Amino acid sequence: MEIRFRSILLSCLLALLVSPLWVYAQSGVIEPEPQRREISEANIDTENFEVGLMLGVISIEDFSTSMIAGARLAYHINENFFIEAAYAQAEAGQTSFELLSGGAPLLSADERNYRTYNLGLGYNLNGETFVTNTWVINSATYFMLGAGSTDFAGDEHFTLTLGAGYRLLLSDYFSLRVELKDHLFNSELIGKEKTTHNIQYGLGATFFF
Amino acid sequence: MDVFSLVLGYFKKSVLGYLGLLCLCLAVPSFAEEYVQVQVKQAYVDMRSGPAGAYPVVYVAAKDEWLSVLKRRTSWFKVETVKGQQGWISQDDLHLTVSAAGEPVHLTDGSFENFASRQFEVGTMAGSFDGIPSVTVMADWVATENISLGLNLTQAVGSFSENQLLMFNISHTAFPEWIVAPYVVFAAGKIRTKPRGSLVQSGDEARSANVLSAGLGLRYYLTRHFLVKLEFNSLLVKTNRDENEELAQWKLGFAVFF
Repeated sequence: MEIRFRSILLSCLLALLVSPLWVYAQSGVIEPEPQRREISEANIDTENFEVGLMLGVISIEDFSTSMIAGARLAYHINENFFIEAAYAQAEAGQTSFELLSGGAPLLSADERNYRTYNLGLGYNLNGETFVTNTWVINSATYFMLGAGSTDFAGDEHFTLTLGAGYRLLLSDYFSLRVELKDHLFNSELIGKEKTTHNIQYGLGATFFF
Repeated sequence: MDVFSLVLGYFKKSVLGYLGLLCLCLAVPSFAEEYVQVQVKQAYVDMRSGPAGAYPVVYVAAKDEWLSVLKRRTSWFKVETVKGQQGWISQDDLHLTVSAAGEPVHLTDGSFENFASRQFEVGTMAGSFDGIPSVTVMADWVATENISLGLNLTQAVGSFSENQLLMFNISHTAFPEWIVAPYVVFAAGKIRTKPRGSLVQSGDEARSANVLSAGLGLRYYLTRHFLVKLEFNSLLVKTNRDENEELAQWKLGFAVFF
């Protein structure tokens, strides 16, 4: 009995709590002219920053292929240009030589850590993707150029990054992307100095804020 | 039985509870939705499906129609009509509307006027550090219209060594009102040099030294929140050896201001 009493009391309380909201919601319908706020930069929510995570595969030249994980922060300057800071890390595998010789590791476990960052400028080609005839998603193909550094095999290497990607804007603030990047740096790890191409592709998710 | 589980049980049992929850869900966003509103004063305004001129027009807002401004991305504004139609309009089109008070809408944002009153600059530069490619990140506080204080971090990786340079700088421009303005910059900081592993015997460790520098630069207000900087610095590295080392640094980069 007591529980029923309490539930009656609670339902009264809830009705009291909800009724002003209900009236408010109703009044919105009756009066189509609510109080209007003045416009200024400060009271419009701006979403120019993009933050995200990436997971993919990288082929580190001479060191087979590994998983790579990364993060990125971008700032959209206008509808086309954006600047980006990206970081990624992977663990390099073994060279064919190491595998065939059956011993004699070229690098220590610590030296196999591959860490790269770059700062770059990108350009969006905005468009739409027709998934079906009626289901249309905003999308963009983008190209980017960056410069940074790669810490690998115990040394830092100045790194140029070329990238291209495709991003689907599933909502105003959430996007999925596939991305291909080539990190170029000079290395003389295998004797003579050469420019290595370390090609990475991956899938990422980003949020605008 | 504590109050929480009682309330939970109550919600579970009572149909009214579900109804109440529904009311709350419906009503609460209407409190949060305090968007600014503007009224179209031109013959029409195009509303696009996305925040770029490339996206198709999905709706044409007529003269005198009220639009709620939901959010912005770069210079595009997401708006909603009274009937709930959403779309993106450009900043130029937003400037063709009037505010609730009947004033023409004008956001100074992204103009030179706004640039002149900036407080912070954050940017990245690429260049040459005594012949070695370098990357710099920088953050400046614009203290007065003439004077800025800043920090910058440079990494330069060459064939022989990796250099990291952290500098605190003060710059001065005599012509803040110019679109392209020259400035002078003085800086002090530290350099850390680490020889490349493949060239030296193990045991040769990283060394650091104090650095003083003086330089000249040009800053160019490009567009919206964006400026370009070109800078030349002459650096004096205080070494332990008999002679101090002199280095030259060039850099060119972009910065965003707030």
